[in-house]
Amino acid sequence: MLEKNYLWRIYWRLAGVIMVCVVVALAVVSYFSHRVFDRELVPETEQKAATVGASVRALVLKATGYGIDFSQLYGVEQTFAEVFEENPEFAYMAITNTDGNVLYARGTEPIGARTHFRNPVVLQIAHETTDLSKAARVGQQYIVSMPINNDGKPLGVLHVGIDAAFVDHVLLEVLLDVLVVLVVSLFFTLELLNFMAGARLASGLGEFARQVDRMKAGDFTATARIRANDEIGRLLRRIDSAIDHLNVRYEFLAGELQDKVRTATAQRREALKPAQAALEAITKRLRFGSAPQAADGDEMNLNRIRAPLFAFILAEELTRSFLPSYVNQLIVAIPGISPQVVIGLPIMLFMLIVALGQPYLGSWSERVGRRKAMLVGAVVATIGFTGTALAYNLYDLILWRSLCALGYAMVFVAAQGYVLDRTGQQNRAQGFALFIGAIMVATVCGPSIGGILADNIGFRASFGVSALMSLISILAIVRLPATEAVLPTGKPTRGPRMREIMALVVNRRFMTLTGLAAMPAKIILTGVCFYLVPLYIVSIGNTSSMAGRMLMVYAVMMVLIVPLSASFSDATMRRDRYVSVGLIISGLSGLLLLLSDSFLVLFGVVFLLGLGQALSIAAQSALVAEHCQEEIRIYGHDAVYGVYRLLERLGNALGPLIASLLVILWGYQGSFVALSALVLFCGIAFTIATHGSEWQPATPAHP
Amino acid sequence: MGTIRVRFIIVALVVSFFAVGMAAFLNYFKYKSTISGIVKSRVLVIGRNIENSVQASLSVGMQFMELGTMNQLLQREKASDRLIRGIDVFDQTGQVLYSTERTRVGEKVVNAWTEAAARSKSTEWGTEAADEYVAGISLKNNFDLTVGYLAMRYSAEEVDRAAKVAGREILLASIFSFLGIALVAPLALIVVIRRFERDLRALEAAASHLEDRTEPALPTGSAFDGAIGNLRSSLRDANGALDDLRAKLDSVS
Amino acid sequence: MMRALLALIVIAFALEAGGDAQAQVTTRPYRIYAITFRGMTDVEKGFQDYFAARRIPVQITFRDLNRDSSRMPGFLEEIRRTKPDLIYTWGTGNTLAVAGTYDNVDPSVNITDIPIVFTLVAAPVLAKVVRDLKNPGRNVTGVFHVAPTESQIRAMASYRPFKSLGILYTPTEQNSVVVVEEVREVSKRLGFTVIAKPLKLDANKKATAEGAADMVRELKQQNAEWLYLPPDTFLGTIAQKTVIPAALAVGLPAFASTEQLMETGAVAGLVSRYHSIGQFTAYKAEQILVNKVSPAKIPVETLTRFALQVRMDIAEQLKLPPPLPMFNYAELIVPKPEEAPAAPAKQ
Repeated sequence: MLEKNYLWRIYWRLAGVIMVCVVVALAVVSYFSHRVFDRELVPETEQKAATVGASVRALVLKATGYGIDFSQLYGVEQTFAEVFEENPEFAYMAITNTDGNVLYARGTEPIGARTHFRNPVVLQIAHETTDLSKAARVGQQYIVSMPINNDGKPLGVLHVGIDAAFVDHVLLEVLLDVLVVLVVSLFFTLELLNFMAGARLASGLGEFARQVDRMKAGDFTATARIRANDEIGRLLRRIDSAIDHLNVRYEFLAGELQDKVRTATAQRREALKPAQAALEAITKRLRFGSAPQAADGDEMNLNRIRAPLFAFILAEELTRSFLPSYVNQLIVAIPGISPQVVIGLPIMLFMLIVALGQPYLGSWSERVGRRKAMLVGAVVATIGFTGTALAYNLYDLILWRSLCALGYAMVFVAAQGYVLDRTGQQNRAQGFALFIGAIMVATVCGPSIGGILADNIGFRASFGVSALMSLISILAIVRLPATEAVLPTGKPTRGPRMREIMALVVNRRFMTLTGLAAMPAKIILTGVCFYLVPLYIVSIGNTSSMAGRMLMVYAVMMVLIVPLSASFSDATMRRDRYVSVGLIISGLSGLLLLLSDSFLVLFGVVFLLGLGQALSIAAQSALVAEHCQEEIRIYGHDAVYGVYRLLERLGNALGPLIASLLVILWGYQGSFVALSALVLFCGIAFTIATHGSEWQPATPAHP
Repeated sequence: MGTIRVRFIIVALVVSFFAVGMAAFLNYFKYKSTISGIVKSRVLVIGRNIENSVQASLSVGMQFMELGTMNQLLQREKASDRLIRGIDVFDQTGQVLYSTERTRVGEKVVNAWTEAAARSKSTEWGTEAADEYVAGISLKNNFDLTVGYLAMRYSAEEVDRAAKVAGREILLASIFSFLGIALVAPLALIVVIRRFERDLRALEAAASHLEDRTEPALPTGSAFDGAIGNLRSSLRDANGALDDLRAKLDSVS
Repeated sequence: MMRALLALIVIAFALEAGGDAQAQVTTRPYRIYAITFRGMTDVEKGFQDYFAARRIPVQITFRDLNRDSSRMPGFLEEIRRTKPDLIYTWGTGNTLAVAGTYDNVDPSVNITDIPIVFTLVAAPVLAKVVRDLKNPGRNVTGVFHVAPTESQIRAMASYRPFKSLGILYTPTEQNSVVVVEEVREVSKRLGFTVIAKPLKLDANKKATAEGAADMVRELKQQNAEWLYLPPDTFLGTIAQKTVIPAALAVGLPAFASTEQLMETGAVAGLVSRYHSIGQFTAYKAEQILVNKVSPAKIPVETLTRFALQVRMDIAEQLKLPPPLPMFNYAELIVPKPEEAPAAPAKQ
């Protein structure tokens, strides 16, 4: 454990240094961008101010044309206010007469405006008969001035003030995205450190730690391994050689003793007794000789799955924040189905294919080999992403998305199998932590970056990036070890049988866990995060980037809370209570939208949803093992978990469907609220259902 | 001692390349969208003026097809901004009814225009061709029936030129800050890496003396002291046991 | 003489030299039988213009009731005989005479088997022409012309904001009573007070102009800032001679809810242009004739954009120039010099 923590300390320190460098670099880029923005945007905005001003002037002249006195106009300020509403970068507008006295004004008057208006040069503008306008910096504004001139008769001057800080506002909007980039960079750094150096270092240090432990326990068996030619490798070789020496010495001594005993007389034999006793004591306490050939470099190979998995999942996650909007753009009216449902259709189908495909793909990947299965999956998905990027309309889009789904399911299952093949009872949890870790980091980085990309280079090009990412994952998969680890217990895994599904679906205990906890949790996850958030955000006039940020909040919550709740749920509280609390928090999330429909509230929704899901997710599946022991005994562990996962994933597919139907009935906000209410109801029902004594943990770990 | 150090530095470079690249990308596109937004809204101001006139004519009972003064109005509005190359009004079939260029009347507009107009959910729409942008407004009558479309063609040059200038400068700034990182980051990282390397070296040094029966080298202060101690004591223990055996054997002869 | 009133207008399609004939070529033009109430108005012009603009061949037979309901049976008989494709009815009276109310249809009198498109019915639900505007449910649909009350109030407020609104109305006209109720509803939301004064009734329970001028003066004393003229038939007849001059004398601006009231001398009004109404009616007819949609499924609607009219001479007289933004969208009316502000306008 020491070595793991040690390595992470190093990583964090390295990441810290890298982040500081990145922040400085970003500041430099922002500073120069600001300079460019300032220099280029201001003249453009002055041009626009001149055009807007001309339009206001035309209105004023129209009014005076109807005989209304120039100084008796009504509602001029109202006109100015309307201009501000459409052009937030304008801060001040005024009309003066030919003496420079302000007749009408609205907005924040810059310091020094009055003197500026009376400046003879400025007053001269009133006598211009051309469309000329002049700009000058006054206080915190750029004032664009133009004549109001009725057929040669000067009436006054119109001034439009541009807030000099508007450039700052423009850049502030970028800053939010830059912050997202920073967060993503941090996760990216850690992932890369792990990929570039970590896999080897971690396995090296792990090996070192195990060696120390082994020797402490008196195991001095020599391991015949090829050590890498790096720092850790050299270190391990030193230890190996020390052990070798020890072994040689032992062999020699043992041999010598044996020789002596064989050739000795009875009397000498007696004298050799203490030595023999000592040797016996040694062989009892310590072990020498050569160790059995251990599975070669399993831990290191395990680590190698992380990079390709991350790259592949990232490709899919990139699309989360804008896929619904893209579908919306390509939509084709399907008679009899509401467009809301049609938008959800590709997501639904994706989840369905993943759910139904997984059990069968599991045994398939075992037959063809994990690496090959991943390779096929990634190729299929790459074709899918490319097709999606070039999709003609909804129909072929659905085909392409189905390919993505198939590829996703293949890679997911094969990678899972890869981890299973290379872990034993004791390090399986660690193996899955690695597997989940790669996925989680991808969910943090994907949607936010995807949203930014979609806003700037468009949906299609963003899918192109996904295809590229998927292609990169192919390259990483190719580098995986070609030899497959064969499970010692060669029992092929299989999908759950219909009979088992039927039996479990009517089992009350099993369905309390699945139907009231696991499925609702997935329904609200896909319904809200994959369907409602991207669509609602865009429908209220916000961007895909914002949707991406929302989804990032969710993912960050998961990354931060899941490890905590996983360790706590074993220690402090009954697992089912965690699930209850998690479900209820998830269920409360959408109700926030009853308060206000601002997108800030939506952040709260996603935050609570992330918190709720993170609390319950780790405990949920463990509960099955805890409470369905009877069922596991009858149907077997694999079958029970197979059905559990199948139903959970069907929940994934149901999410967008239910959400879209609710949108038709009650609109986006109503759908959020109703979906949450459903989960809240399930959460409460689950709490009540698990209250009874039959739900007490079989072995109360903590009184 | 090379490989790990190099790997860490590569990570730093890859990450900062990503971050700086994304920031440059974001700034550039923000700039481009802001500037084209400003230019477009400027064109739309003129479009709204035309729309008001059309609306007024329609509401006093004039036929959309028979707005006599329309061509002159378009000419006048076009002249008010040098950016505008031409203004067309076309009907739902895409046929141009009025235009600043007489020859265009009766022609069909490109499909992209009618598609963009039909797709737009508000009354404003727009398309971007290689050298010419179009800002459009859907003209509606008093009962919200779209009677036609107003399209203002304006030069893409203004936006492109500005974008090119800004793009170049942002790119330069990014390259320089990336180069800055490439110089500074390895130095900064070496401070952290050194410590790590020192730990590893201490470990290696300790390991190289594992078999010396001499007393342990002074504590290295690294995080591995405990482990090394363990290692040494295990080895010492084993050696001790073997020594004991040796002594017992020797005592016999 | 019916013969004299007959105006058969066939809109022939003189396809222009370019000959860009649209695909809408039918073997024969659609036959429409139109019954007007007081001769040809702008509504009919808009109705015909729409078909012309859309190049839809129609043959319209116009019949004018000329405010004489005894002519109706003859029209109905002619409809039965000629079997037109569609019937156009102008105003509430004509519409009810042809179609009957939704709860009282006499097949021997009313027409049920030919689609009816009505126009200029102020309150189709109140008059029992249809039960539900969105879903007429019978072989009748059409267009109403009064702008929603709230839109009118908002238009008034955008001309000059107010805290107190005065209304004159005829208590025996149900239409007006309903509008006054609606104004009270709106006032709760927008926060202003309503001073509504019913006109006096004579011994025969008929409204009279007596005391109307005094009421206007009272309203002014009670700090009303606007005088709202609801779509009230009787008020329309006395506005020009009695109400408006009294209001102008005390400097109380009047706001009109219909084009006729506008012509009596209100400073501003939110009205439906008859021409637009006619076009919209033709649009509904197109849905039935060309697109073959059942009238029962075509909602009864009014315009989405109304004409805000301003009498510039009255505005000047009251020293209340329209606010600047209004110059963008309002229809500014400057009467010809010989027409004095309070002089009778053309009928």
